[in-house]
Amino acid sequence: MCFKRGIVLWLLVAALAPGQKFLPDDPVGRDQDDRNIPAPKRYKLSDYYDFIQNSFGNPGDRKPRTAMNINTLGEVPESAWYTNRHARKRMTIEELVRGPDRGTGPAPGTWKVLRGKNEGITPGFSMVEDSRGDRYAIKFDPPGNLEMATSADVIGTKFFYAMGYYVPENYIVYFRADQLELGEDAVISDTPGRQRKMDHRDIHELLNRVAKTADGRYRAVASKILAGQDVGPFRYYGTRPDDPNDIFPHEHRRELRGLWAPCAWLNHDDSRAVNTLDMLVNENGKQFVRHHLIDFGSILGSGSVSEQKPRAGYEYLWEPGIAFTRILTLGFYDRHWIHIRYPVYPSIGRIEGDYFRPENWKPEYPNPALLNSLPEDAYWGAKIVVSFTDEEIRKIVETGQLSDKRAEEYLVQCLIKRRDKVARYWLNQINAVDRLEVQGDRLRFEDLAVQYGVAKPPAAYTAEWLRYDNANDRKTPMKVTQEVTGSSFEIPAEVLTARPGQYYTAQIRRKDGGAKIPKAVHVYVRREAGGIKIVGIEREE
Amino acid sequence: MQIAPQLCLVLLAGGLRLAGQAGDEPPVAGGRLAQWNSLREKKAQQVEAPERKGLEKALYEVRERHLMERLMAGWQGFHLGYGGLHVGSGLALGPDWRQERLAGGLVDMRASLRGSLRKYEKLEFQIGMPRLRNEHVFLDFNVAYRNYPQERFFGLGPQSRPEDRTNFRLEDTTYLGTMGIKWKRVFRVGVKGGIIATNTGPGTDTRYASTEKVFTPRNTPALDFQPDHYQVGTFAQMDWRDEPGNPRSGGNYVVEGNLFGDRNRSLYTFRRYEVEAQQYVPFFNRRRVIAFRAKTSLTDTSPGQSVPFYMMPTLGGSEDLRGFRDYRFRDKNLMVYNLEYRWEVFSGLDMALFGDAGKVFTSRSDFSLDHLEGAYGIGFRFNQAKSVLLRVDIGRSREGMRFFFKFGHVF
Repeated sequence: MCFKRGIVLWLLVAALAPGQKFLPDDPVGRDQDDRNIPAPKRYKLSDYYDFIQNSFGNPGDRKPRTAMNINTLGEVPESAWYTNRHARKRMTIEELVRGPDRGTGPAPGTWKVLRGKNEGITPGFSMVEDSRGDRYAIKFDPPGNLEMATSADVIGTKFFYAMGYYVPENYIVYFRADQLELGEDAVISDTPGRQRKMDHRDIHELLNRVAKTADGRYRAVASKILAGQDVGPFRYYGTRPDDPNDIFPHEHRRELRGLWAPCAWLNHDDSRAVNTLDMLVNENGKQFVRHHLIDFGSILGSGSVSEQKPRAGYEYLWEPGIAFTRILTLGFYDRHWIHIRYPVYPSIGRIEGDYFRPENWKPEYPNPALLNSLPEDAYWGAKIVVSFTDEEIRKIVETGQLSDKRAEEYLVQCLIKRRDKVARYWLNQINAVDRLEVQGDRLRFEDLAVQYGVAKPPAAYTAEWLRYDNANDRKTPMKVTQEVTGSSFEIPAEVLTARPGQYYTAQIRRKDGGAKIPKAVHVYVRREAGGIKIVGIEREE
Repeated sequence: MQIAPQLCLVLLAGGLRLAGQAGDEPPVAGGRLAQWNSLREKKAQQVEAPERKGLEKALYEVRERHLMERLMAGWQGFHLGYGGLHVGSGLALGPDWRQERLAGGLVDMRASLRGSLRKYEKLEFQIGMPRLRNEHVFLDFNVAYRNYPQERFFGLGPQSRPEDRTNFRLEDTTYLGTMGIKWKRVFRVGVKGGIIATNTGPGTDTRYASTEKVFTPRNTPALDFQPDHYQVGTFAQMDWRDEPGNPRSGGNYVVEGNLFGDRNRSLYTFRRYEVEAQQYVPFFNRRRVIAFRAKTSLTDTSPGQSVPFYMMPTLGGSEDLRGFRDYRFRDKNLMVYNLEYRWEVFSGLDMALFGDAGKVFTSRSDFSLDHLEGAYGIGFRFNQAKSVLLRVDIGRSREGMRFFFKFGHVF
């Protein structure tokens, strides 16, 4: 993929550009990356190569630079990658519980098996068709861990959907073997990876390998086949060379870099390229690529085919330093995670909140986008994580339909504990003055670190006002400095009466105790015909 | 403070030309969206299909096209097989043929032919019915012909000496049927019966004397005449290891008893009782394992009967007493203990410190922990998903240091 070309393109543009910070349509609310394009070629990723490249190589651009696809408020515009949801526009409990689901799952009655999968360690049906003609992939729990992977998959889709990502519709289903009917042209991939015609024995053998409920039914997750044409996964670096809409190198996309906090929170250690999917969709007369996160069977305490490995979230699959240390010390030295004791909940697997440190959390391999995460990216992701209340977390966890209520409560408490740790760390790395808005002659704000109880309220907040020359990127002090103990500043008269098109900036700081990081938030406002508009927010890192 | 690079970008020439597409509001002239869209137009002129090259292409072909699996699966059931002969045979290759789910899905058939660099040969045919009664009953019939021309023999008993190493040809044909039941995937119990026809002859490894040149039928039973045997036996197994290919917890206990009857002269009839216990004790989240194995093989003969030397249990080598040569000790009875401390270096590699102790003995009255031979060492186990792919063990004993490179785990 052409990650280098993407960076070169951007550098070229930057070099040619004279400095004008704000353009007339800033801040952009929606990116137009759904422009009509020719169909890209399906590109299936090599799982091995993906792992080797990311574990032993250093793909993508690793120079620290601010995310490229954000608007001037530091937020992610709506796009084919991302939709602002719960963190920006509160969703109701019903909406959170419904998540991406637009229906009720496979219709009752017989399901026609069209494609089976008996290869590898995760048997399942790659495609079944219900009586409505809707198609689903059917995935099972591993034997010994009934409900674990299926609940994780469903809970994961609800959370990531509410966070703003495109995800598949996942439904928990219960069925009996006689509910499955063999499709006329059903095929199965067997162990050598060959496809052959499927027969009833295949169904029987496949079901023999998966967990069963006490009443003899099978529990599975039915993942609705995504709309559109599968064109392969996206990588966490570079851009697709055959998608003209894909111009921001993925390692510099805020919604991918900012995944660190959500992934750490939910222990989505399998946040690898192979668990993403680009779909070519046709909407409103346009053909474009939509980018999805898929397959959440390996999050929380589930490792999909078994419980999460104890290493998961604490160590990459390959870390030479610790590996050689273990060799030299004959295994008598190791990291703390090896001593963690997990309660035995087979339907949950291995997850805990006491040893969890969000800043030290790691996925399976060094993910280029996550590695590029700057405090502002992680802060953006943390804001999303902390937007879930205890009750909302509980309701979403309930969608996993865990029959062991003690296990369910344990998972809820884990996620609450982990969420609080995410907040405590990342909301304190930069100035968390946020949710700024102009109300009449006042600039209102909220200090998220204080609001979420992870920092003491400061003695005061100060705002220093400056005139801003947008054409030349130059600031001139107005000699107006305000200090408040509340949550709003009075907008100076000069700003209120300025000519349309004039810019000002307020540099807001915490004063004294509370904040570990006394860095400023720069708020840019533009006088417009209708009033004062906030057009830019920058956070010192 | 870091400022987003796009904040210092300005409209590119051409951006103004952009108009929104169907369903879009046209971007504001000179605006951010116009700028981004101009980049899209620029990229649209350079679109190219993604292409796999070099390592990526190779790995894609191997993995996604299941080349390894297909190579192993072969064509029409035929594929290339390797290994499967005795230690010391040299590289062994040959065709394997396998057909599964024949006769309504009940029957599996397998045949293989092996030849090695040192002219070891093996021909085997197996027909099995592993899925009877909803996989609770299994039936298996196996025919094997072996011709191993350089089998090692150091003499019988614990006092045998390494410098007495000889070699002999072992040629046998075995017909063996097994039938049993499985219960809850943990218990297996069954019976077996068959016929074994054996010949021995001069060894072909010219570096060592042929066995019959150094040993005599008096101290090496059945050296001069090899009877045919019938075999009847029974076995029971309780196996609850988590991953049989690389266990970290659970246990595996096997008890087996067999009667080997001399079909020719009634001189070499004997009963053999074998017990093997494996236990795996995990700690530190199963990243450390204490693995223990105890194994014994006891042979019982009636007065006037003895055990052919080539049917006696052997001790030494990569599978039990590391630090000694393979098949270093041989006698009517055997006991061996292995203790390993295993630790995970990373998911692809485990290491182990091990200690082995064992002995062979003639009389069952010597069944004690006295006079055990010992070995110790360190091992490297390269793992695949659920099993050990390659094992490198370095063992040391009173007879020196030995390196073993083996496929699969030790126990």
